[in-house]
Amino acid sequence: MNPPIMTDMRSEYSKILIELGRENPNIVVLGADTTDSLKTSGFGKVFPNRFFNVGIAEANLVSLSAGLASSGKISFASTYAIFLPGRAVDQIRNGIAYPSPANKKGLNVKLVVSHGGLSVGPDGGSHQQIEDIAIMRAIPNFRVFIPADTFAVSKLTRLMANEYGPFYMRMTRSNTPVVHSESQDFQIGKGITVRDGSDCTIVACGITVRMALEAAESLQQEGISCRVLDMFSIKPIDAELLEKAARETGCIITCEEHNILGGMGSAVAESVSERYPVPIKRIGAQDMFGESARDNEISLLLEKHGITSFNMIKQVKEIRSRKL
Amino acid sequence: MGLNYYQIKKNVLRARKLVIKATNNAGSGHPGGSFSMAELLGCLFYKHLRYDSKNPEWDDRDRLILSKGHAAPGLFSNMAIAGYFPESELDTLRKFGSKLQGHPDLKCPGVEFCGGSLGTGLSYSIGVALAAKIDGKNHHVYTIMGDGESDEGQVWEAAMTAAKYQVDNLTAFLDRNFIQQDSYTEKIMPLDKKLDGDDISEMWKDASRWKTGDKWRSFGWNVIEIDGHRIEQIDAAITKANSIKGIPSIIIARTIKGKGVEHMEDNPQWHGKAPDSDVFPIINLELDSQFMIAPSIIAGDMTNLENEVKRCVTGRADYIHLDVMDGQFVSTKTFDHIKIKELRSLTIIPFDSHLMINDPVKHVRDYVEAGSDIITVHVEVCDESSFGEIHDFLKQNQIGVGLAINPDTELPEWSYKFIPAIDQLIVMSVVPGKSGQKYIEETHGKMNRLNTILNEHKFSGFIEADGGVTLDNIGSCFIDGARSFVGGSAIIGKQDVRSAIRDFRNQILKTKRKILLDKANELGGSELVKKWIGLHVVGEKQEQIKKIAEEAGYL
Repeated sequence: MNPPIMTDMRSEYSKILIELGRENPNIVVLGADTTDSLKTSGFGKVFPNRFFNVGIAEANLVSLSAGLASSGKISFASTYAIFLPGRAVDQIRNGIAYPSPANKKGLNVKLVVSHGGLSVGPDGGSHQQIEDIAIMRAIPNFRVFIPADTFAVSKLTRLMANEYGPFYMRMTRSNTPVVHSESQDFQIGKGITVRDGSDCTIVACGITVRMALEAAESLQQEGISCRVLDMFSIKPIDAELLEKAARETGCIITCEEHNILGGMGSAVAESVSERYPVPIKRIGAQDMFGESARDNEISLLLEKHGITSFNMIKQVKEIRSRKL
Repeated sequence: MGLNYYQIKKNVLRARKLVIKATNNAGSGHPGGSFSMAELLGCLFYKHLRYDSKNPEWDDRDRLILSKGHAAPGLFSNMAIAGYFPESELDTLRKFGSKLQGHPDLKCPGVEFCGGSLGTGLSYSIGVALAAKIDGKNHHVYTIMGDGESDEGQVWEAAMTAAKYQVDNLTAFLDRNFIQQDSYTEKIMPLDKKLDGDDISEMWKDASRWKTGDKWRSFGWNVIEIDGHRIEQIDAAITKANSIKGIPSIIIARTIKGKGVEHMEDNPQWHGKAPDSDVFPIINLELDSQFMIAPSIIAGDMTNLENEVKRCVTGRADYIHLDVMDGQFVSTKTFDHIKIKELRSLTIIPFDSHLMINDPVKHVRDYVEAGSDIITVHVEVCDESSFGEIHDFLKQNQIGVGLAINPDTELPEWSYKFIPAIDQLIVMSVVPGKSGQKYIEETHGKMNRLNTILNEHKFSGFIEADGGVTLDNIGSCFIDGARSFVGGSAIIGKQDVRSAIRDFRNQILKTKRKILLDKANELGGSELVKKWIGLHVVGEKQEQIKKIAEEAGYL
């Protein structure tokens, strides 16, 4: 594969927010003392009266976003992953997700976080959110995205602005490799087949999509045809695409920088086991916390948890022998 | 515009009764915190809040956000009275399939916020208020918080945020009832000062202990501290808060948890417990037993009525009775609307103008404009047409409608059709004209006759005993059905008005307790009497009530 082109998700998010702000006067943006880091302060400079920085007060951030949304605003609330689902789940649940006859899907709030997963790196295990997908997936009415690259961020941010209801989107701190093209279409509940194959399927999301592509490339050279799905929409999940992959390839590997309990791998396993059970292997944090790793050591941290192309290759080979 | 005093009072009473009915029916719920904020909700629903119960999503409605969501029965009861849904629906509270959940829930149209996970409502309200500002809308946000709720850090996150963004289209209320689920707030997590021991009165006696207002002031808020059960104070506080621009306002309302039912008052046990069915009728009777004391200032120094008004206010009268005499309807002359207007500027306490004048229909406008909150006219100088005109005019102006009858007058038949709408009926127990007369004993018999007529015609107002009311006869007036008591020389004539009023209240309290014991004995004999007494666990109430029961031979 060609060396990856690396781009920054937060810059893309900020750029799209400003575009959206120009298009729609109802867009409001909220932050909690991480607005320079998230780059949402750019929106605040252009639209000062629609931008609210509530300080280091995440519960307040969430409830305020809900209050604004209850009066017709489209709230984008952003901070680091560890501080939103990890800290304000009660406010998210009762304040945003809870339905009313007028707003059956809950309120129009988009929680967009950065610094998801282990790849947060140097800040350490206490700041590596590896439970957010499990938490957010379990809350009724919430839809959950993990974009793999800046094209995904751009399209999904627009999509969330135009689609009523609560969303959670988790971005990555570091620059991410481009895996999609500008023309790629993103739809709620529709996974993307980024590489076709017939012997096995690797389901990935976020930073693991590029790893999966690299693994598939290597496996191809050994004569193993591996399908790769970008399951950016973790909830709702694309049950049809997964069933098709199960039927056609007979085994599935999942890989994510999240605890294997309750994350994307769990969502895949739940769906496949109900519709067309095949052997599944989940790669991710094995129910343990992360730890500090400097930027040039993040690959070591991921490796410790088996989140590598190399491990995917190994697991694909093993699971093929367990095919039904 | 008047205070809408009696309309609010009546609806607050109705709401309290619905709370008891609904929680009893549900077998659980939170009456204590519903009762402490009862008057706050009354003033909002029937005076300040703009809403359309038939169109709950009306865009320009004010938003009422009940952050202390456990007080849902209080909210739902008022919503029923306001017409969001039939009162009968309250029977479904907390039951499977009901839109009336245990805590306020958006399932119920008109509920603005899923309250009850405490500490979140103020932040949410700020969001609502900021959205209104962005859109240039002028609706107002009212948020009710509890004092136990203030343990939550998010409250203070929100407090800072509201000050930062100058959220002045929001008025917060702190229902400061001093009790949270486990015990007294000052024991669990003091907002004022840590309480050692169990005597809650320690927290009340000494205003220098109260630090909660300082906390909010230091967070940049406009703070208004009031007695949260006094309608005129709540009303004035809301008006003031809504007029302050540039900073957010909070009304700290000192209240009594369980207010209105003696055994629930100040008792942490009644935070989240429903009353049993066997005591339910006794509690209902107790709620119907609320009463008011209204000194008549003409019994004082007529050359310094300003001072008499001040003595009533500091003496903690419920309202002031103003005897207007024109020298024609009665031989004496006192003062007219001009004097009332002067006195009005001194105080916000409700004014009950008792017009002993000829042709009241010609003058009633003057008394409305002078600032009366209740206006009473005499049947002797009205007929169906003129009283109808007076009634409509007073209602339009949110003034309580009163009708008075002299000792030798019976209620004329033309007045019957007005009975359901009358707020106050004054049954004179002296011949009007001067103060210091003796109570006419025949009034008791007359009250009996009157009660039959009033019941038949669905009277829902308050009977005011006026004339010769003293400590000796106030109990029997109460038994007759009077619920407000004009005290002339027996109050104003005393040096210490405050202690005179307190004596009046204690005397009525004794009578009230006896009536409730009678009811318990009637319904369940000595077992229920014992149970009723046993419920009164705070302070010295139990011993006092036990003594009354022993004297009555119920034990």
